[in-house]
Amino acid sequence: MASLFKQVGAVTSMNVRSIPQRAAMSIASIVAVALAISVLLFFLALSHGLSQTVEGSGSNDVAIVLRDGAGAELNSVVTRDQLNIIAQAPGVVHRGQTPMVSGELLVIVDGKKRSTNTNANMPFRGIGPEGLALRHNVHIVQGRMFRPGTNEIVVGAGLLREFSGFEFGRTIRLRGTTWQVVGVFEAPGTVFDSELWADVAVTQSLFNRPNVFQTMRVQMTSPAAVQSLKRFVHDDPRLQLQVLSEREYYAQQASQSTNGFTIIAWFLGVVMAIGALAGALNTMYASVAARSAEIATLRIIGFSGYAAFFGTMVEALMLSALGGVLGLVIAFIAFNGRTTSTLSSGFTQLVFKFELSPGIVISAVVVAIIIGVFGGFLPGIRAARVRPQLELAAQ
Amino acid sequence: MTDLIRLTDVEKTYTRGKEKIAIFERLSMHIPQGDFIAIMGPSGSGKTTLLNLLGGTDRVTRGQIEFDGKRIDKMNEGQLTNWRAQNVGFIFQFYNLMPILTAAQNVELPLLLTNLSQSKRRENVKTALNIVGLSDRARHKPREMSGGQQQRVAIARAIVADPKLLLCDEPTGDLDRTTADEVLGTLQLLNRDLGKTIVMVTHDAAAAKFAKRILHLDKGHFNEQELAA
Amino acid sequence: MNDLTLMRKNLWRKPVRTTLLLISIMIAFLLFGVLVSFNVAITDVRTAPNRMVTLSKINFTESLPIAYYDRVLHTDGVLAATHMNWFGGYYQDPRRGFLAVFAVDPDSYLRVYRDDLHLTPQARETFLHERTALLVPRNIAERYGWRVGQHIPINSNIFTNGTNGGHVWDFTVAGIFETPDGNSQANSVLIRYDYFNDTITFGKDRIGWISFLTTSATVNDRVAHAIDARFANSQDETSTQDAAAFNRSFAAQLGNIALVVTLVVGAAFAAILLIVGTTMALAVRERTKEVGVLKTLGFSSGRVLRMVLGESMLLSLLGAALGLLAAAGVLYIFSRINGGGGGGGGLHLYPSVVGVSAAIALALGLVTGLLPALSAYRMNIIEALGRR
Repeated sequence: MASLFKQVGAVTSMNVRSIPQRAAMSIASIVAVALAISVLLFFLALSHGLSQTVEGSGSNDVAIVLRDGAGAELNSVVTRDQLNIIAQAPGVVHRGQTPMVSGELLVIVDGKKRSTNTNANMPFRGIGPEGLALRHNVHIVQGRMFRPGTNEIVVGAGLLREFSGFEFGRTIRLRGTTWQVVGVFEAPGTVFDSELWADVAVTQSLFNRPNVFQTMRVQMTSPAAVQSLKRFVHDDPRLQLQVLSEREYYAQQASQSTNGFTIIAWFLGVVMAIGALAGALNTMYASVAARSAEIATLRIIGFSGYAAFFGTMVEALMLSALGGVLGLVIAFIAFNGRTTSTLSSGFTQLVFKFELSPGIVISAVVVAIIIGVFGGFLPGIRAARVRPQLELAAQ
Repeated sequence: MTDLIRLTDVEKTYTRGKEKIAIFERLSMHIPQGDFIAIMGPSGSGKTTLLNLLGGTDRVTRGQIEFDGKRIDKMNEGQLTNWRAQNVGFIFQFYNLMPILTAAQNVELPLLLTNLSQSKRRENVKTALNIVGLSDRARHKPREMSGGQQQRVAIARAIVADPKLLLCDEPTGDLDRTTADEVLGTLQLLNRDLGKTIVMVTHDAAAAKFAKRILHLDKGHFNEQELAA
Repeated sequence: MNDLTLMRKNLWRKPVRTTLLLISIMIAFLLFGVLVSFNVAITDVRTAPNRMVTLSKINFTESLPIAYYDRVLHTDGVLAATHMNWFGGYYQDPRRGFLAVFAVDPDSYLRVYRDDLHLTPQARETFLHERTALLVPRNIAERYGWRVGQHIPINSNIFTNGTNGGHVWDFTVAGIFETPDGNSQANSVLIRYDYFNDTITFGKDRIGWISFLTTSATVNDRVAHAIDARFANSQDETSTQDAAAFNRSFAAQLGNIALVVTLVVGAAFAAILLIVGTTMALAVRERTKEVGVLKTLGFSSGRVLRMVLGESMLLSLLGAALGLLAAAGVLYIFSRINGGGGGGGGLHLYPSVVGVSAAIALALGLVTGLLPALSAYRMNIIEALGRR
């Protein structure tokens, strides 16, 4: 065994040193692997970043209440009566005398995407007086919160980065009335960062939805209290409603938004990897052909066929590993951490960042290794079959 | 007999790095129509260079080469290529057949340079293969044939366009004695019956005997007596 | 035998190598065909140049008062107009995908979309007179196995049916229609506005948007200004634009698809350019001696160059053809899976995509063959044959 290792080592180092002789083809297959890997990484990072943002928006001890079967906020209806019943449910946190609940209404308004200057759907959320306190990681970073009962808006910092029309201090006309942007809030890594907020009562009246909410959010004393609220709602026939913890709700939304991207990532990634594999196979066959005299000589000296096989395999793995690393470098430089936006499952624009995770990096490395293994296997067998004949060695 | 080829004061030098190597300094010779010359000589004597100059695959540094009264040293690359296609057939030591083509297709190759119709081409190929005695191997690929057979296919390829001159570079260098003699017999036949002028470079004295005359080349010079004969 | 025979035989000299190259070229064109067709399907919905839409200025999801319809219809330069509402429907189980159900005014709709729907006279009559009539495009009817005359329950995930307190409405299939290639109505399921408006519990007497035809595309801008000016400073301000522009801006919401497609396809082509280019170079290098022989036989350098270029062209055209074939297959499967869903219905390989692919294939063949062809062109006979 030890001798086989030594043989493989010797053959491998000869192979690797001869790579520069096939520089163009070797570089071609490295680049092909790198491009396949970076396409895979692009969509996986997109999918992951999107999913992180949506999932990161929910907390465990906040309940979200929707119409039973609505599935998403936009389709949901919650009446004021229902809201009042739930506000009295056990387990709801009170601040002084007021229960911490927020009836909310989400409408869509047009903004302009900065990069393309085209219309884009902005989520415009009417929130109740407790709406801000219900969201733990939200801070006003410029200006102030809107005053209840006024036509004032606060805007998410993420939305501001990608879309224009709602800059701080700006006045906006909606439905024949004037609104003013009085503050900017930050809700890093959540969907709220790409929302506009205003007073729910004002929103209801101006958008012709008197006394209609879509959802309500309820601050519960604990995650367990969310479960008891579910039972409470289930047991009351007046409440044809669905209760979820905010985290559950956003986890559902995340999987809806990102499934498509994950499928695209693997479809494109695998298809491109097959193309790169074809290139790698060609390079490795050429390598074996170019070295057949050398391999025959080694075989005459007494090296085994296994050594020839593994030498080829290691060369293929090195090329594809280099390609994989290059792909990762491209990913880290070109798009990791970049902000972008897309239409979320809620039909509104969602701002998020491309985000690579250790799992994604490992997937990419595995794909590169698979290309290397497949790319080295058949050419390796061909190398192992080079016979130790003098006339071959003489060529 | 009229001269097919006349070399007058041919000079051929190569530069290797800064060094100038003279192969021929003032080489003159003439080859009559219908001649069969074997050129012998040690390595580096200029045999192959002479063959290249005669076949227009290399250019003289100075001097003249006339072929059938035309100055081939004055032709440009394109003219030379056309001239070669019409007038010269080549036979190489390692046959140099296209491995991807059948014997018949290999023989047909030079006819792609003519305006002959498909049927006329097929007829000529058949005739050429007949002459070298390989009609039954028309559909075989080179690797399915022996060395002698391959060389005979190469000869058929060389004669199919009916050139006046055949240039052979060690045509039997890779063959055993019996096979070599067969191939050389074929060349002799082409010279005698079809009147082809043949210039053959060889190391092999036995092969040289098949020619009408033998010239010895050494350091760029022919043996004057032989040349005069 | 002719030069093409030689090119073909040269190409298949190493079948494994050529097959691998064909696979990689095929993949690039597969991606090109699929992704660009997707992009075309999403962005290039074909609409007449004189077709326009009036929507709420706030966002197209906001509704407009029904009174606006009459005013738009009687604006100078408007030939015909109809109004539509988004119903947000699905059949039995939302997991089977959503249907693009629109509540329309039958009479005016069939006038405005006269050239878009191929409909039997009987289906037209039924839709004009039966309150619960429903028109469905063939691809969706086939997907759900619906037949004319069948009663179909359709759920809305937005509206509540006042007559039963639930979210389900009953319809009768009045007709199955077909649309021209890439038409905006290719996936639209149509129901009647009167039935819809009478049964919904909120949003009554409001319409989603107005779709209309102008007398000529040249008056589009003037008509748009006239309509929007008329409703300026009201509760419901409008935004009027031509339908093509609206479709484009709607597609742009998904993100810069064109850029992503360009990047991915660019990456695929960059990879094969390198793979095919270096392999062709190797192939010609391996054939050095044969090139020398051809030239010795009297083949001109130009002819040798053309033969190498021809070979690389042959390779890339063959790869492109295989790739487009695969793309057509993949698109067909996608369109089957995605039948009724948003936008996937009319998906296929567009002739324009095939045309551009052919041009790219020629360019690819030229670029990958050029350097090897030039080296064959320049190859010196004596050096090529190793004789001196």
